[in-house]
Order: sequence, then structure tokens, then C-alpha cells
Amino acid sequence: MSAFQPYANPRYFVMLLVALVPLIIGLLRGRRHRNYETLVSLVFIVLIFAGGKWHEGVALIGYVLWQLLLVMGYTRYRHKANRTGAYWTVILASIAPLVVVKVTPVFTVHPSLLDFLGMSYLTFKSVQTLIELRDGTLQQVDPLFFLRFLLFLPTISSGPIDRYRRFAKDYNTVPTREHYLDLLQSAVHKLFLGFAYKFVIGYFLGTLLLPKVAHSALVHHHLGGGLGISWALVAYMYVYSLYLFFDFAGYSLFAVSLSQLMGIDTPQNFNQPFKAKNIKDFWNRWHMSLSFWFRDFIFMRVTFALMKHRVFKNRIHVAQTAYLINFLVMGFWHGVTWYYIVYGLFHAGAIIVNDMWLRYKKRHHLPHNRVTTALAMVITFNVVCFSFLIFSGFLNTLWFK
Amino acid sequence: MTEAIQQTVLAILQDLTGEDLSERMDEDIFETALLDSMDTVQMVLALEEQLGVDIPVSEFERDQWATVTKIVAQVQALQA
Amino acid sequence: MKKRLWWIFGPALCAGLIVLGLVVVPVHFSTVKSHSLATAAVSLKKNVLVGERLKDEAVQRDYVPFMGSSELSRLDAFHPSVLAQKYHRPYQTLLLGGPGTQSLVQYADNQSLLQQLRGRKVVFIISPQWFTPQGQQPDAFAYYYSPLQTTRWLLGKRGGLADRYAARRLLQMGNTKGGVHQALMNVAAGQPVQGLLRTRLQISLQILQNEEGLFGRHTSAKNQAKIMQSAAKLPFKDNQHQLATLARNMGAQATNGNQFGIRNHFFDKRLGGDKLSDLKGAQAKFDYRRSPEYSDFQLLLTAFAKNHVQVQFVIPPVNQKWATYTGLRSGMMTQTVAKIKTQLHQQGFMHVLDLSRDGNQPYFMEDTIHLGWRGWLKVDQTVKPFLEQRQAPPQYRLNDQYFTKTWQQKLIH
Repeated sequence: MSAFQPYANPRYFVMLLVALVPLIIGLLRGRRHRNYETLVSLVFIVLIFAGGKWHEGVALIGYVLWQLLLVMGYTRYRHKANRTGAYWTVILASIAPLVVVKVTPVFTVHPSLLDFLGMSYLTFKSVQTLIELRDGTLQQVDPLFFLRFLLFLPTISSGPIDRYRRFAKDYNTVPTREHYLDLLQSAVHKLFLGFAYKFVIGYFLGTLLLPKVAHSALVHHHLGGGLGISWALVAYMYVYSLYLFFDFAGYSLFAVSLSQLMGIDTPQNFNQPFKAKNIKDFWNRWHMSLSFWFRDFIFMRVTFALMKHRVFKNRIHVAQTAYLINFLVMGFWHGVTWYYIVYGLFHAGAIIVNDMWLRYKKRHHLPHNRVTTALAMVITFNVVCFSFLIFSGFLNTLWFK
Repeated sequence: MTEAIQQTVLAILQDLTGEDLSERMDEDIFETALLDSMDTVQMVLALEEQLGVDIPVSEFERDQWATVTKIVAQVQALQA
Repeated sequence: MKKRLWWIFGPALCAGLIVLGLVVVPVHFSTVKSHSLATAAVSLKKNVLVGERLKDEAVQRDYVPFMGSSELSRLDAFHPSVLAQKYHRPYQTLLLGGPGTQSLVQYADNQSLLQQLRGRKVVFIISPQWFTPQGQQPDAFAYYYSPLQTTRWLLGKRGGLADRYAARRLLQMGNTKGGVHQALMNVAAGQPVQGLLRTRLQISLQILQNEEGLFGRHTSAKNQAKIMQSAAKLPFKDNQHQLATLARNMGAQATNGNQFGIRNHFFDKRLGGDKLSDLKGAQAKFDYRRSPEYSDFQLLLTAFAKNHVQVQFVIPPVNQKWATYTGLRSGMMTQTVAKIKTQLHQQGFMHVLDLSRDGNQPYFMEDTIHLGWRGWLKVDQTVKPFLEQRQAPPQYRLNDQYFTKTWQQKLIH
């Protein structure tokens, strides 16, 4: 059997939509067929990892069992004690497989045997569950439900990243008919918007246009004192940025749409990011489920700890340190390469500069009108596109290959 | 009781945002970008300090802390 | 609720039905405009070769297929396409081939064309370099693989040794999938393709045909522009003597930078620097005498014979200086050409232009193995009368022994 890529071809959509019909009818009648849903998910997961990717399937099973063991073990432990050492041990144990997978390419060309499609996204869900257990906001974890949450089919490969309690709230209830009809309407809309984004615009930008601009930029690699700075490179920057958006936003629309058909209101991932007025605003609009995860579980916690222990006198320094840590972790999460790390640092720098500017603007009562807002959008868009040029790894090819 | 909490919350928010919210008790402070993530953490710390509640960060769901009225309700719930 | 559901799913359902309709229902697509056909015929693009619409329309309008491989892209002033356009010959050229298109690709990709060619003429450039011990390269086959033509082939009347052999070879290429794969297994085992499998193939044939009709128009005008440029260099009149002088001069000018008589541009790009010294003696072990290619070639001969196609074969030489430098054995080459010619003559294919002894002629080759200026002109001296004059109807006598391993391995002196 040939390996089967989520949302990659019409066959996947047709098969999944047909499989979901009984579930949709059930929800319309006020019933959620949980066992049927689990069965469909299992069949599709087997299809995704069957054939050429069977070793990924084995890695997935091992990974899921490991996370289940940690979460269930920690739940039991938390009823008896709450030591910081134990907390950090389970967190490290939970992210350990991801760390191995991300660090392996630094040492060898062979990908790690632990790797499988979607691992980095599953790790967010698992770690988040552990953190909430520590905080006490989560006291009981049902093992079977945890697996359903972790392996929720529409979002298994690349998010959006849902939260345990939010997911549980949707899953353990049945939406009212009125509400479910709204979900269906939104799902159909998103599905078709996703087709336009990913298979029309994304295809044009990524498959037709991008290789041409890339080729032309590589031809001019000797320009700009050997840095390869050419108009083609500028074109590459914009084409890649737009491609990244349409491809990923298209994918996210599919994931949200399919979730909604299943009566789960998975959070949105994008909200017109290129309309952002500044970098902070951008991160409230771009890959939102990721950036909110980082905000809530890295940034806020780092800030909280720094303030509580009064590490810095000045709260500006607290913010700056927290941003650096936040985006550095995000960079490493993308992969251990210089360009992902620089990408993280660049965004941290951009937010720090942005904060400085906002303070300056406040102090000096600078004008704020439609023209300055438009200018802010243009500047933000270009800064973001530049960061995506770093992110693309194209500079690595251009300079070092 | 509610009155006292409300006054404290308003004072904390005035400290952070420089604005008096006593007339805008139901305005969404995140949506209007009055409060950023940094301010949020400061607000949580101030609430803990001044009102003697313990707010776990993961308890902090933005939707439920988005207006002055909601904040007061949350604090009351945690004190109970 | 029903009304609301209809409002939600109705438009999506309609969209789905329209798309399905466009794909599955037999649609009659408008004919191709003559200038886009002219561009497509010389574009050498993959979509022309693997498709069928453009090719079929071209032969209906007096284009003659020139089948071959990479030499077809050597578009200097004496290339058949340039001569045909410049001098308004009664035929125009439909170029079919590219790097790696050996007999099996030509056979598999030209199923509809071979039927359209009944009683017509074809020029076929058969390179000895195809006849390697491996035969058709699977990578090139995968690149030029045409699900459309393969499906059409499978839906035709199949049976007999040639079809079983063809199915086996296609399966060996290792990139067929789904229904096509199953049907190939049937044909290879001598079983008919019927029932559900047949229906499945019929539906997918319709889908592939519509897909080509909708999206297969895109070609490149690059080669047409090159041909116009080359044509501008030719004398006003189609005069053999003038053309011969010009070919010599142009060849001399283009190859003055190296001792092999190879076009300077090619030499600098492909053989420049250290590459040249590495290639000294590199072809001493090359052997084209034993190859499955002989049987793959027989597939084409079978198809030509069954459709009474009149074929002019051309066997190009190897640049003699280059052959000497790389150690390519001339005895081996002579035996290869003899074997190809035996296979042709024995079965009644009498129009064979053997240029294999002309590799030492100056400016005959554009580079190592590809015809150039004087070489193309020599081809024209045979091809032009072949295409312009009526030929006696061929008497083909097919022999299935050419599908056997024995023939593939046999040496002809």
C-alpha cells in the first residue's frame, strides 16, 4: 500500500469525508459516535503510516506509549506530592524524543529512527497536559481520552495545537443542532478556501514560481560582494513568504474544517497576518496556536518566574529576557540549524525594538493616524518577509552550498 | 467585599495602563490591546500580592479575565 | 434543518458535480490552432510526447513524425525542421524524443499515434547508444511514462507474444501503479483485461483524456524561435551545392576551439577542464551488441508493420576522433550496426540510411554522438526524396524470434 499524505490529494479528502458521513449524521441527530470516530481515526492513522513509512508508524506507537506512561504516572504522583524536581524530570522525559530527533541531523545525515510525521506537534499537547497537572488545573486524566486528544486525526500532522481542557469541553458534549449547523457552514467555507489557498495560490507560488526565482537568485550568487544580493533574491523573499502563508494557512483551514465536521471547534491558526501593525500584532495573527502556546507556556512563565524572584530591577529587562528565551526555544523547535536559530533571535530582536519604539512613541506623543498605520503595516510586512527569507534556509544554499 | 476587590483591581489596572477603567468595566482589555503579555503577568502578580489569591498561570484563560467585571468574579471565586 | 443543510452543502455538491463532469464526461475540445501546433511540433516538450492530442492532430495535417532521442534537439541550420520550414517543404516535422527516449519509451508513448499513422511515413533515428546491456533506463522511462498511452494500449486488443513481452518490459520499469499495474500483469500472463478492471481503465482513460484536453496545451516557443534564427542563416534557394558550402563554413567556425571537431559551446561546458582527461579511454568497455533493446525495438517494428507505416531509418555515426580518444571499439560498433540492419532487412524494412562510417567526415557531427551541419544535410538528401515521392508499398515479414533472449544475446558479424 502506498503511503498516504494528509490533505495531499483528492483521494484523501474523498475517503475522509465519506468516512465522516455517519459521524455528521449522528451529530445532527444530537449524538456523538465516539467509538466510530476512534475507529475511523485508527484506520486513517494506519493508512498514513503504512507502506513505505511503517518505521514511522513504529516510532509513533513507541512515542505515544511513552507519553501516556509519563502523563499517567505523573497524574498519580501529583495526587501524593508536588516536588519541583519530579516536575522537571517528567517535562524533560517528555521532550527528550523531540530533542533527539532535532539534534540528530547535526551529527549525521540519517534522520533519527524516533522521528515520525507530526511528532513536534504531539509534543506540545503532551507537555501542556503535564504542565496543567503540575498547576493543578487538571487533576484527572483519562488514558483513553488522552490518546484521542493526542491523536486527533484532523490535526495529527501539523496542528493547530489544541489544549486538553478546551478539547475535552468540546469532546464531552454534543453541540446543539443550531451550533453544529454553524460549524458545518464554517467547515464547508474553510474547506473551499483551503483548496484555493493551498492547491491554487500555493501551487502557483510554490511549484511554478518559486523554483524559477530560486534559480535566478542562484545564478546571481556572485553579486553584492559574494552575498548574492540581487533583485531575484528580493523576489524570492516575497514569493517564499506568500507561499509559506498560503500553503500553511490552507493546510490549517483543512484541519479546522475537518475538526468542525467532527463537532470539535479546533482553534484557528491564522488571522490575516500580513495586516499586522507591528511584530507583536503579527504573532497574534500568525500560526496562532503555536505562538499562543509559547506565550502561555514559555513567555508568561519565564516572566512570572523572573518577576517573582526579582531577577531584574527593571521590568523592561524582564520582558527582553523573556522574549529572547521564548523565540530562541521556538527557533530550536523548528530545527537545530543556524537559520532557524537566527530566525528566532531576529524575531526576539524585532519585538524588543518594537517595544522600545512604542515607549518612545508614547513619551513623545507622536502622531497616530491612518497614514502612520499604513506605514506600520508596510514596515511590519517587510520585516516579516525578511525573517522568512532567513527561515527558508535559502541563504544557506546560496552562501554555503 | 466586591466593592473593595473592584477598587483594588481598578487601581492595579490604572497603574499598568495609565487609564481609568471605572466607566468601562466590560471593555475587553486584551482585544483593545490595553494589556500586553507583560502587563498581564504584572497584573497577576499584583493581584496575588494585594488580594492574597494564588493564580496558577494555566488557570489564566484570557477569555475569563478579559474585563474588569470578569477579573473581579475570578478573584472572588479563587478567594472562596 | 433540511433547508439550512441544503444551503450549506448544495453549492459544494454542485461544485463537485461540475468538476466531476468536466473530468469524466467525454468532452469535445476545440481543435488546436495551426500556429500553436507548429510550435508544439518542434518544442520537444515532454507533454507533447506523453500526450496524444497534439500528435494526432499534427499527423492529420501532414506533419511527419521524426522519432529519435537527444540528437533531435541539435537545432542548427541544417536540422530537418529548419530545412522543412525554410523551404516550405510539403511536409513539416513533428519531433518526438529527448534524452533517454529509447525504443520502449517510443513504443509506450506513441500508442495512439502508431494507429493514426496507418499507411503514412515516419523518419526514425535509431542510435546504437540505446543498445546497452541494460536497455531502456528505468529513470528515463519513469520520466516519460504516459498513463494515458499505457491505458490506451491496455484497452486495445491484446494477446500474442509481442504484447506479453511488452507488458513484461513495462512492469520491469517498476513505476506502474493501480489498475494499469494489474492490467499489465494480466497481459503479461496472457490473460484478457476484462470486467471491473476494464471499466476502471476506461474511466481513467476518459479522465486522462479530458485532463490533457483541459491542461495539456502548454508548450514552449523556445525551439520555434531557435528554428527561425537558424533559418535566417540559410540561402534563399534550396540548393544542395550552396548548402554544402555553408554547412562546411558554419561547422568550421563553430568547432574551431578543440581538436575533436566538437561544437565549442558543448566542449567548454561538458568536456572542459579536468573532465576531458578523465574520459580518455573511458568507453573501451562499451558494448552495444547484446541488449534487451533489440527486442524493445522489435515492438516498434511490429507496430509499424501492423499499421503498414513506411519508415525511413537513420543510423547516425559516432564522432570518429572522439571514439578514438575514448577508446570506443570500432569492431564492436560495426557488429552493432550489422545486427540492427539484419533485424531491419530480414523483416522487410528496406529504407535504412547507414551513416555509421561517416564519423570521420569533418563537420558531420555537432558533438560526440549527435548529428550536426553536414550530417543533417546528408540525412536530408535521403529523407527529402523519401518524404516527397511516392514509395512502393512495403512488404513486411515479422518474425517473433527477435523477442527472444537468444536474439538479444546473439552476435552478428
